[in-house]
Amino acid sequence: MILNRRQLVGGLAVAVAGILPTLSFAQGKGTIAIITPSHDNPFFKAEADGAAAKAVELGYEVMVLVHDDDANKQNELFDSAIAAGVKAIILDNAGADASVAAVQKAKDAGIPSFLIDREITATGVAVSQIVSNNYQGAQLGAEEFVKLMGEAGEYAELIGKESDTNAGIRSKGYHDVIDQYPDLKMVASQTANWSQTEAYSVMESMLQANPGIKGVISGNDTMAMGAWAALEAAGRTDVIVVGFDGSNDVRDSILKGGIKATVLQPAYAQAQMAVEQADTFIAGGATGVEEKQLMDCVLINADNASKLETFALSA
Amino acid sequence: MTSVPVALALIAALALSGCKIVKTVAEGEGNTAVAAGEAGDDARIAALLDKTYDAELLPLIAEKALPVADLRAAIVGDLEAAGAAHGNKGSGEGAAWNFAVKGEGVVVEANLTSRARKAMLDTDGDGKADLTLQLGPVIKGSSLRDVAPFYRFGDFRDQIEFAKLARALNDRATAALVVPKGELVGKTVSFTGTVDLKAATDAWQVTVVTLTVTP
Repeated sequence: MILNRRQLVGGLAVAVAGILPTLSFAQGKGTIAIITPSHDNPFFKAEADGAAAKAVELGYEVMVLVHDDDANKQNELFDSAIAAGVKAIILDNAGADASVAAVQKAKDAGIPSFLIDREITATGVAVSQIVSNNYQGAQLGAEEFVKLMGEAGEYAELIGKESDTNAGIRSKGYHDVIDQYPDLKMVASQTANWSQTEAYSVMESMLQANPGIKGVISGNDTMAMGAWAALEAAGRTDVIVVGFDGSNDVRDSILKGGIKATVLQPAYAQAQMAVEQADTFIAGGATGVEEKQLMDCVLINADNASKLETFALSA
Repeated sequence: MTSVPVALALIAALALSGCKIVKTVAEGEGNTAVAAGEAGDDARIAALLDKTYDAELLPLIAEKALPVADLRAAIVGDLEAAGAAHGNKGSGEGAAWNFAVKGEGVVVEANLTSRARKAMLDTDGDGKADLTLQLGPVIKGSSLRDVAPFYRFGDFRDQIEFAKLARALNDRATAALVVPKGELVGKTVSFTGTVDLKAATDAWQVTVVTLTVTP
């Protein structure tokens, strides 16, 4: 971690009010709040790290908080950030509908929000919404999957958490491509809620019911890791697995010939971009770019996996 | 939902036959409210294509298309400059430059059994393939959408609706393509299409809008 200044860890939201005086008298340009889902998933940690590093580089203090995908908790964190008088909020939100009110509340208090990773269902409330082009990424992953499958065979799909818009977007992107191949037959499709352990047990039962499975396409990397572990345990390392996110775990699996491919979301760079836009906005009252911005995803397979590190691809 | 394009096709056919037709949508159709949100996507996209595909997109591609050799020369020095001068950037950070391109070449290799049919062309006469024509029905990428400055992400509800536009454009283009049965290798082909490039060194995958095969 590059952080050497104050970093508050999630769960300490209640304590924020207590240290408010310190924050208020901090030197420099004030504080930026960075609110994301739990750092247990390295993707969200990379986001928070990227945002914090950029904020510190630009002369801000940072307040790093996690909402654990709980909209009520997110609401409380917003109250804390507003009370602390932060200059801006960088947010990976806890629900496309549920988050609108919280972002609006910050706006009403004069605090601009810059969203990353996930969209909300309203425009004109946040200043920026920078999201990975999940649909484009899913199409990339699906195209690779189709190629690996030889355009034919039985496959299963692991779907993410339903409340997260990206779960549905990725699934649609996968099917947009795969469903154009009539010889590819989906024999099982189930959510594993982005969870590695859940994906392990789901994969186990899918295999039992459908021993002819030739491939698994997963809505994210943690579920792909869970599925791969179950396949290994069952001696079915012949099954083609494709994930999504571009985590270091899946990178390592690809390099060892396990999981075949994933799709990188440039999480670190995206978070940094959000902070840069916040900085521009704080200084001049505008970002100079449109509210809704897409970032393209990149296919990762054995050809380029070695260049992947912490959700960023080196040249 | 299919009745709208059918009605328009009828109107178009009648118009071509010389009758003077006042362009009104069949009774009742025009009053049908398109559902808001995702449920109305297909209807909205179909309407957008009817309005823009023949009238704006195909003319744009025809007008902007650079010969293969000229486009190669332009991007080899500076993709950004070539893109700004001749292309259009897709929406978003890290998006590719999209160009309209036209050319002629000899088919060196072809895969017509895949759902994503392809023909590899030699356009510079060195006997080696230097670009790939995507012949559908499955088309990779969104260069037909992203080549056009009038299709902007900000005008769409979200990435799903925007992606549906790309897919609909790809489907419209490949539906109109006539790919001759039988061996393509060795034949001379001329084409117009679009290509997306993130780097000057990227292999060219051309989404084809017109294709002529010389026997």
